[in-house]
Amino acid sequence: MSKVVNRAGSPYLERNKSFGRWYRKNYIGWLFILLAVAGISLFYFYPMGRALLLSFQSGMGSNLEYVGLNNYIRLFSDPTFIAALTNTFIYLLIQVPIMILLALFFSVLLNDATLKFKGFFRTAIFLPCVTSLVAYAVIFKYLFGVDGLINQFLMDLSLISQPLNWLSDPVLAKITIIAAITWRWTGYNMIFYLSALQNIDRSMYEAARIDGATSFQQFFYITVPMLKPIILFTSIISTIGTLQIFDEIMNITNGGPGNATLSISMYIYNLSFEYSPDFGYAATVSYVIVILVVILSLIQFKVAGDDK
Amino acid sequence: MEDFRFKKSWLSALVLLTFLVLAACSSDEEGGASEEGEAAEDPDTITAWAWDPNFNIAALETAKESYDGDVELDVIENAQDDIVSKLNTGLSSGTMKGMPNIVLIEDQRAQSFLQSYPEAFFPIDDYINPEDFASYKLAPTSLDDKQYGLPFDTGVTGLFFRTDYLEEAGYTMEDLTDITWEEYIEIGQDVKETTGKDMISLDPNDLGLIRVMIQSAGAWYVDEEGTNVNIEGNEPLRKAFENYKAMMEADFVKANSDWSQFIASFNSGDVATVPSGNWIGASIEAEESQAGDWAVAPIPRLDMEGAVNASNQGGSSFYVLNVPGKEKAAEFLGQTFGENEEFYQDLVNDVGAIGTYTPASDGEAYQTENEFFGGQSLISDFSTWVEDIPSVNYGMHTYSIEDILAAEMQNYLKGKSLDDAFADAQAQAEAQLK
Repeated sequence: MSKVVNRAGSPYLERNKSFGRWYRKNYIGWLFILLAVAGISLFYFYPMGRALLLSFQSGMGSNLEYVGLNNYIRLFSDPTFIAALTNTFIYLLIQVPIMILLALFFSVLLNDATLKFKGFFRTAIFLPCVTSLVAYAVIFKYLFGVDGLINQFLMDLSLISQPLNWLSDPVLAKITIIAAITWRWTGYNMIFYLSALQNIDRSMYEAARIDGATSFQQFFYITVPMLKPIILFTSIISTIGTLQIFDEIMNITNGGPGNATLSISMYIYNLSFEYSPDFGYAATVSYVIVILVVILSLIQFKVAGDDK
Repeated sequence: MEDFRFKKSWLSALVLLTFLVLAACSSDEEGGASEEGEAAEDPDTITAWAWDPNFNIAALETAKESYDGDVELDVIENAQDDIVSKLNTGLSSGTMKGMPNIVLIEDQRAQSFLQSYPEAFFPIDDYINPEDFASYKLAPTSLDDKQYGLPFDTGVTGLFFRTDYLEEAGYTMEDLTDITWEEYIEIGQDVKETTGKDMISLDPNDLGLIRVMIQSAGAWYVDEEGTNVNIEGNEPLRKAFENYKAMMEADFVKANSDWSQFIASFNSGDVATVPSGNWIGASIEAEESQAGDWAVAPIPRLDMEGAVNASNQGGSSFYVLNVPGKEKAAEFLGQTFGENEEFYQDLVNDVGAIGTYTPASDGEAYQTENEFFGGQSLISDFSTWVEDIPSVNYGMHTYSIEDILAAEMQNYLKGKSLDDAFADAQAQAEAQLK
């Protein structure tokens, strides 16, 4: 706070350095944010605190009792949780890079000054993002059904001789989920890149071209470095999104076959609503997501080398 | 400076006011709740939650018409999943505000609610005579010798089959009556060979048929007390898994991955049989062009001692929540579903629902012949089979164990030995249900 005021360079403040004066002067600023702080504390931090307490309890429904760290210990010997965690990481490691690269690719294509029907293509790629998660998931389910369009298409091309059981084969079901999320979210990320690309000074490319840089060199030595903060931002957002993935899995495969597509969020849902409710353990599993998001975001910041 | 001080005090006043309003709001809410709790001890309107407008909601509406008491019943339609999550969130929050008076709960889930929220439900022993109902419905709907649920529909199973396809393959109703699942599989192979039609449609991720098979032998995923996991050494379950795999490998299974594909599999005429709870009848009859082509045989049984040709799939019961108006709600249920035989005839005629109130099964409506099923007295047949359904204690972990088993089923189908699969499932379930 003081930094902000100082930067504004208020001469009044420079002259009165005592804390009391500073505090009184800033009192009014605090008042302005007080409501927001109270709201966030009440509706954000308080539930987070309660959830943390809940994660140390266990029992069915309302018969909860404190069990210390037992829930956290239980995580390590819970094969369903480990399966859910593994699946989520498979989605993360395969889907996020594919999506980020695709989004980058599309945005660079669409940013080309010579491209015609730019508006149309941009809308077309962004359009999946405005569809409802449930609606598109159901459509994907039918597309990838045994009698679905994808199977018919592949059969007509003679790529396969028998319809594939997309949704009941463990590997194919994961591919279906990854295809679905990629379709839904690529356009969303592309918009970030597009707007960032608009901010790159065209004279840099011009200068590079005069120096004889190829398109590839321009992409890797100008576009990518200039987009670095946005790439970092989108990969963090996508990572968080993938860790929380729920709607697609619930609607397309319902976690199946077996546990092959189960995600952490879906497991939390099952623990709370499908099985005999154990909200304590469900809260513990939710905290795993929190911890993972923090760790992964830290790693991404480090890797991206943002040392400011 | 004067001006500034004024502003400051004005702002603090504003903040103070906001807090006062917020505090007032919250205390007002509490006041409202307790007030309602006392003053609204006997509301004129009771609410009920159910999920199927053509079935259980229609049944409640029929009950309302036949009820003489002065009470308004407000039936609210909610998807079943929504009812489950609303009950869980509502009851666990400790406040009963917004909860209905009557709620419909699936039998296999009932124990989990009754045991998780001991104070939330109102026992209705004083309003009904539990012995009037099919015995297999009582274990899941009661707890500690108190009857909480009013048994509603039966999920008695039957083997729905296409008479024309089966005839083409050389089988009649008699050949399908009282058979084992092994015989069923043989017949299925014949049907596939002669007619080219698949025998059955299955969702590899849904073990509903496994449950049907094991209940016919009086077994479940848990032991009789409903608490201990019973997978390893569960002979009926082993047989059921073997049958399931044999079906999957017999190349007469049309795979489906959701409910609508399942319905489509028989409405389109692609499969020859549908072993299912009786409630599937409505969906089969929906395809009018197939009228006269269907009949229902008793469900096949497991090839072992003690197994009968009767089982159950699904079925639910009404529960009264411990909120103001509970006596009225219990009275309403008791005088309609609990004792009104005539009402049960209406239920059969108008809604097509087969209740589990045994005195009603002598009624006229139960004897009606069903033209769609070639003149078979379907309801009468079903209610005969209801009496044979072995009673099992579902316990409270059916769905969590089933998810574990579904994963092991995949492994088993891929070649893991059944001993290993069951041992793993047993260990995993025990760890989870500690």
